[in-house]
Amino acid sequence: MQVDVDLLAAPFDPLQSLAAWQASRRVGRPCIGAAEAHFIGRVRPVAADGSPLEALEIEHYPGMTERRIAAISQALALDHGVAAVLVRHRVGRLKPDEPIVVVAVAADRRGPALRCCQEVLESLKHEAPFWKREWVNGCGHWVAANTPL
Amino acid sequence: MMSGELRVRLFAGLREEAGWQERSLAHQSGMTAAAVWTLLNLGGTAPPATVRVAINHEFAALDTPLAHGDEVAFLPPISGG
Repeated sequence: MQVDVDLLAAPFDPLQSLAAWQASRRVGRPCIGAAEAHFIGRVRPVAADGSPLEALEIEHYPGMTERRIAAISQALALDHGVAAVLVRHRVGRLKPDEPIVVVAVAADRRGPALRCCQEVLESLKHEAPFWKREWVNGCGHWVAANTPL
Repeated sequence: MMSGELRVRLFAGLREEAGWQERSLAHQSGMTAAAVWTLLNLGGTAPPATVRVAINHEFAALDTPLAHGDEVAFLPPISGG
């Protein structure tokens, strides 16, 4: 079982991350996992109150955040019996429409791949220390809770 | 940081309310995260229910006894992904 977690301080291309992850699973052996589930999350153009968003700032707890995501991914990969989990998550200041997060899971079948992908995403939203601050008209407001599923 | 000290860290809104992000504190036997919150005058007699505690990068209960050299963090509500 492979777990690949990274936090990124600069904009990234989710499709390149996925392509690199897929290539890494083909080195010297048949590709692990015939079924893949992917999730890409981007910055919304509006703040929670409906105002046009200038930027979204994401703070994290260096060390703990990476450790929590890796632990969440490993535990859920074992629970669902999947072959590989990829997580890429931005930190720093992001503009509307920029990618925030990619979660991908490879498994033998679509059921475990899809279920594990959703659970990794929901767990990291609630159990990995990230904090979002919305910037509107030059003022920042910390986001108090996650958006509904 | 000396071995007999604790490192205390705050994040996001808690850091801005307090006006600092990291402090060292002399460790005393039996000290807990709840006691650290009170000693540092972080507000009221205990953290709000929405604030979580981490000790050495792991979530922990407020009443967990602390050891020399521990890093204690108070975490406001998480919003990732």
